[in-house]
Amino acid sequence: MKRSCLLRTSLSLFLITALCSIATAQRSITGKITDDRAGQAIANVNVTVKGSTRGAVSGADGVYSISVMQDDSILVFSSTGYSTLEVPINGRSTIDVTMAIGSAKLAEVVVVGYGTQSKRDVTGAVASIKGDEFRDLPVSSPVQALQGRTAGVNVVRNGGSPGNTGSIRIRGTGTINNADPLIVIDGVPAGNLNSVNPNDIASMEILKDASASAIYGTRAANGVVIVTTKRGGFEQPNTVSLNAYTGISNVHKTIDMLDAPTLVTLKKERYTNDGIAINPVWEDPSNQVQRTNWQDELFQQGKVNNIDLSLGGGSAKSSYMLSAGYYDEQGVITNSYFKRFSLRINSDHKVGKRLKIGESLQLTRTVDNALNTTSAQDGLIWSAIRFMPFIPVKNDDGTWGSSKASNEYGDINNPVFTANTNDASNTNTRLLGNLNLEYQIVKGLKLRVNLGLDGNHYSGRNFSIIVTDQTRTTNNNSLTKSFSESYSLLGEYFLSYSNIFAGKHKVDVVAGYTAQTFDGDNFSAAKRDFLNEDPHQRYFDAGQTLNSISGNRYYDALQSMFGRVNYDYDKRYLFTATFRADGSSKFAEGNKWGYFPAFSAGWRISQEKFFKVRFIDDLKLTAGWGQLGNQNVTGLQYLALIGNGGRYSFNDNTVVGAAQQRLPNKNISWETAEMSNIGLTAGLLDNRLQVSLNYFNKTTRDMLLAPPTIGTVGTLTIPDQNVGVLKNSGLEIDLGYRVQQGDFSWGVSGNASFIKNKVEKLYDGNFIASQTYGRPNEEISRTYEGEPLGIFWGWKTNGLYQTTEDINSDPNIAKDQRRLDGLIEPGDVRFIDTNGDGRIDDNDRVKLGSPHPAVVYGLNADFGYKGFDLSLFFLGNAGLEIYNADRMQGLDPTYSFNMYAETANRWTGPNTSNSIPRMTTKRNNRNYRTSDMFIEKGDFFRLKNLVIGYTLKETLTRKAGMSRVRFYVTGQNVFTVTGYSGLDPELGYTDGNKQINVDYAQYPQSRTWIFGANITF
Amino acid sequence: MKHIVVKTGLILLAAATIQGCKKNLLDSVPYGQSTSADFWRNGDDAIAASNALYSFLGDEYMFAHTEQTWDICSDDQWRAGDHPEDQAIEEFTYEPSNPQLNDSWARKYEVISRANAVLINVPGINMDEALKARILGEAHFMRGLMYWYFYRIYGQVPIIKEENVTSNNYNVPKGTTEEMNAIIESDLLAAADALPLEYDDANIGRATKGAAWGYLTKFYVYQENWSKAIETGEKVINGPYALAPSFGDNFKPATKNNSEMLFAIQCTDGWTENVTSIYSAPRPWGGWGFNEPIKDLADEFEPNDERLTYTMAKVGDVIDPGESNGGPQEVPPGLTNTGYFFRKYVNWRPDGGLDNNMNIVMLRASDVYLLVAEAKIRSGANGDAEINAVRGRNGLGDVSNATMTELIHERRVELAGENERHQDLMRWDRAGIIDLKAHYAKDRGQWKPGRNFTRPKNYLFPIPQRQIDLSNGVLIQNPNF
Repeated sequence: MKRSCLLRTSLSLFLITALCSIATAQRSITGKITDDRAGQAIANVNVTVKGSTRGAVSGADGVYSISVMQDDSILVFSSTGYSTLEVPINGRSTIDVTMAIGSAKLAEVVVVGYGTQSKRDVTGAVASIKGDEFRDLPVSSPVQALQGRTAGVNVVRNGGSPGNTGSIRIRGTGTINNADPLIVIDGVPAGNLNSVNPNDIASMEILKDASASAIYGTRAANGVVIVTTKRGGFEQPNTVSLNAYTGISNVHKTIDMLDAPTLVTLKKERYTNDGIAINPVWEDPSNQVQRTNWQDELFQQGKVNNIDLSLGGGSAKSSYMLSAGYYDEQGVITNSYFKRFSLRINSDHKVGKRLKIGESLQLTRTVDNALNTTSAQDGLIWSAIRFMPFIPVKNDDGTWGSSKASNEYGDINNPVFTANTNDASNTNTRLLGNLNLEYQIVKGLKLRVNLGLDGNHYSGRNFSIIVTDQTRTTNNNSLTKSFSESYSLLGEYFLSYSNIFAGKHKVDVVAGYTAQTFDGDNFSAAKRDFLNEDPHQRYFDAGQTLNSISGNRYYDALQSMFGRVNYDYDKRYLFTATFRADGSSKFAEGNKWGYFPAFSAGWRISQEKFFKVRFIDDLKLTAGWGQLGNQNVTGLQYLALIGNGGRYSFNDNTVVGAAQQRLPNKNISWETAEMSNIGLTAGLLDNRLQVSLNYFNKTTRDMLLAPPTIGTVGTLTIPDQNVGVLKNSGLEIDLGYRVQQGDFSWGVSGNASFIKNKVEKLYDGNFIASQTYGRPNEEISRTYEGEPLGIFWGWKTNGLYQTTEDINSDPNIAKDQRRLDGLIEPGDVRFIDTNGDGRIDDNDRVKLGSPHPAVVYGLNADFGYKGFDLSLFFLGNAGLEIYNADRMQGLDPTYSFNMYAETANRWTGPNTSNSIPRMTTKRNNRNYRTSDMFIEKGDFFRLKNLVIGYTLKETLTRKAGMSRVRFYVTGQNVFTVTGYSGLDPELGYTDGNKQINVDYAQYPQSRTWIFGANITF
Repeated sequence: MKHIVVKTGLILLAAATIQGCKKNLLDSVPYGQSTSADFWRNGDDAIAASNALYSFLGDEYMFAHTEQTWDICSDDQWRAGDHPEDQAIEEFTYEPSNPQLNDSWARKYEVISRANAVLINVPGINMDEALKARILGEAHFMRGLMYWYFYRIYGQVPIIKEENVTSNNYNVPKGTTEEMNAIIESDLLAAADALPLEYDDANIGRATKGAAWGYLTKFYVYQENWSKAIETGEKVINGPYALAPSFGDNFKPATKNNSEMLFAIQCTDGWTENVTSIYSAPRPWGGWGFNEPIKDLADEFEPNDERLTYTMAKVGDVIDPGESNGGPQEVPPGLTNTGYFFRKYVNWRPDGGLDNNMNIVMLRASDVYLLVAEAKIRSGANGDAEINAVRGRNGLGDVSNATMTELIHERRVELAGENERHQDLMRWDRAGIIDLKAHYAKDRGQWKPGRNFTRPKNYLFPIPQRQIDLSNGVLIQNPNF
């Protein structure tokens, strides 16, 4: 076999030499392939001679070399993500080409379940995000990189603590249960994305509608995210790439609290107003000295460091990709951190002519320390907002400042002390890998096998020290360690067949069997009374008393048969039919199996002969319908369990009880989501403008709900029942425009989702309650039939009572006993008697607002000029409300805490304030109950990411032995436009899907700036 | 080429074997737990189920804290602490949504549910008959006890018995007063019948005949059934339930299970926690500083009544809160708001931590002595013997021809902080012995200003609103709420 010669030396750690023989009767053409964006070299472009099987692939520097025969006339350049280019040779020996990205998005290949499809032919709603789109972002998880990138996919951040990934919601919150999508990593349904190094990701495909995701059956009701990691290319030189960055982060806002002198004035005023003696501690002049801004003390400058090193390449028979990464984030709160070490080996091998073997293997270890920040008892941020400003962080004698001296100083511990003495960590070590084989039986028919393993080892540790100098004391020190091991085995065997009949009938068929098992084993133990609290003594051997030990095991399995047929007539009419039968071990015999069909069709109007609209290059109309399942609930709920009934002792002889833990539901089975979708995609103006519109309607039936249960049952766990109906419907718009003018290229894209969520049916017409907030245990969110999930529920108000006459003439409280008893006073809140009975009570509560945004949108813009590149990514939410619960507690003077600075503008007499109630120690009017006083608009528009890069001239980098060097600066959460008064309008879930956008003063998202470099050798 | 196909086949086979070795991939079982089908096999299972009857009692939202809250209505104590719902309870402005009302509701029914499970399943177990009888007695006792406490707070509540469990019928209307009385009486009688007088060392703390008789006595006094109250109460007085030599013995870990202790929630340091102790201890000394006694209560004690120092500490008393709290010292001003704290419930270890070995007292024989005395006085007989038995051990002189005035005084000082005062006062008000409205309207200083007690509304607390909502119209709210 004759080949051209390529001799290349690289200055990488690995020195690779490839020697070939020189052809005689042929000539070679070389050239460089660059993109139209920033003139960057494109690797892995397939260069073929049209009409022959001869081909080559471009190297990391974009340079290719191909041998041609005398009569060859056209070279074809193709690569995923770029439009295919045909270039006439015209006798040249050097042909440099520029390939257009983006403008040919419709030509892309997307990964769908059990195969790939040309995006052109997709009839379902599928979005694809390339790794390049988030490569320079300081994110700990790929989940964050999904945020705002495509319509219908919302990432809801639950606070900004290091390593916190947020929740992915595809097409709304589909169920009150676990609404996370199925994550498939390199073909392995693998639970979560947290441990995947974002830098390893080649692309993420999001299957949004039923017809796209039905192939994943019972696990697809909340959508599917398919992650494909980077792989080496065959006949590729070895390439070493390095990506490193370092940066800092800071909170962009803190809550303004009262300073010590003002606080003392207001504390005294409470007593004076109530006509009782001022507690003597407020006369102590030392308390009038402002000493500490607790939020400033708790928040620090965070740090983030990341380095990724990868090595890839391949011979004619084998290719590989090896990568290692280290990510280290120190949060903006002392002692909060997240670290990830990752190692990946992907390789592909051709064995003979018919067999291909590939493997992916990922080993990761993450360590983090999730601090308790929001608890209304001992949360760090909660405490920092409320701790007395006259208490020093540390006393002159070096001991920690404390509120212990008086009840008036609040029952919270010094948050800086708590953060600094925290000794807790979570460590996850995960091995995720698969082996896949593809055997071509005859042309067009392949047998494929995918064997996967997902194993995780978790180790948790928490050492609590003895605390005596703070208000909340800990009498005994203790160490708790938890271990759990889980492993999942996957086996998939399927046949795929692809052929074109009579030139116009293209048929693809996939059918197979898959089974996945989930095994887990865990134990936890605690020991108390460590004589010495030195760090090196904080191990079980040093503890005196065994406190507790517990352990358990679980086993779940799924077994499925699936099939899909794609039929394409003349590239004009596209049909897809999918069917999947799933069995789940979670349900009883007879309820185990579910059957999920889906159908979709597409019409590529632009392929019709009659279609002659000049400015429209591509136009496709699609429609689909399908059913999906969700079995992501506690298993074995059809059994009545008897387990640990609690501890007791008789005369200090310790015993353990046994009691029923759960009522059984023999009929439990899956939730079914039924979804229909209509979509229109178009490429206009030479495909520079891409438009995609989708309308969907998704109804989740048989939604599993643990019905709120009457207390007479006791405290047993109530099993889920298939009773609820939840509906999500919405419109998704994606737009993109890209232009190349000489050295200057730019593109903008945007997406918006308008999704409505409505609960159609709940158990017995009753509502679902959520958790309560703060010290008064205020109920904030409820879920009702006919309303979206988790609406805000409480009292309406109309300002404050200014005078006694106001009170006596107010029909809202005409018959209210508290008014008759004289317990309502001027400066109290006027609540509205919505049921007209002349009394303010529980029955006056109404819907106050909805936490669901009317629209979630993202805007991307990027610009390239010679070596410079700039990209901006904006994220916005509009038409939603936030319940500012932290402010509700923060204005309340009846607690022994510091208050929001705005309480300085309190009511002090007629017409002094109509919004901030009087100072009092009394709670008769419950001024700070859940009410519309604390509802705020939650709209925001945020410059989420800003990336500025510069790629050095190649002539320069070559001299240094590098093929490409790019430096960049990235800003995250650069600025936010919002009218919201709290720390951060990007809130999340505080009680599963039952409570949304309630501000607990969550760990705020920080503003991060990083400086980094991409270097390719 | 061929050998590769063979190898591949082998790999496939191996993979299929890994998953296929289970007979049926989709079969799973709960690990570490039994199902109702494989429990209730023998006496050990029955004992474990009986242990579970007790384990909930010391829960924060049961008798360790929530149940203590009802007595802040009384004239003995100020609520202290930082629970806003407590202020509404103390000032009689509570609404049906007050969280304290709902906190113990389902938990009490959980104990009932566990008792019902024992009553349904234990009779069929092949086991030692004496043990079986005792365990059934414990279940009756615990169920009767829960309905008793329900009755005192809410008046009438849904009655869940064995047949409700077997027919899965939990959403039922409130029982009538007669039905409430019937189940309390029949359960406590069944318990008194089946339970032993006392236990061996390993089982002290389980319900005894004395505990059942004691609660029955109280029940009969509330019913004003004087003859039965006297008859049942005298069984306690004549039983092995002698008053402890010193009043203080009842509140020390070392003597916590003395003969006077008819029923107490057992606590053991390192195993269970005494939450009452944490709630009652002053904050600077490691507690949460709730339920502070007020001067009005201190003034009720006669001079030389040594019960005062065991009941409550005041500024200047020498207390040893342990090393980390500074060792023995005089109670400093400002330690608590009222200047007092309930010492009954708080003990410190030498190192300064709260001593979790102290029990939570539920019923003492001295309470029964005074109930018998009250039954005698109110039925026209002489109750001096019982009153003087209680007074005598505290070094106080005898009373003679005691009237309700002496009885009311004696109950207040003997049982202060034991969650009886407000209930006693309401009972006496209903009987016309005192005017509670006037009594509560009296201003007792900063920590107990006058309050508006409304008859008959405030005799009962409202049914929790959440439970009314959940019942879809089956549960009817108490009058006037």
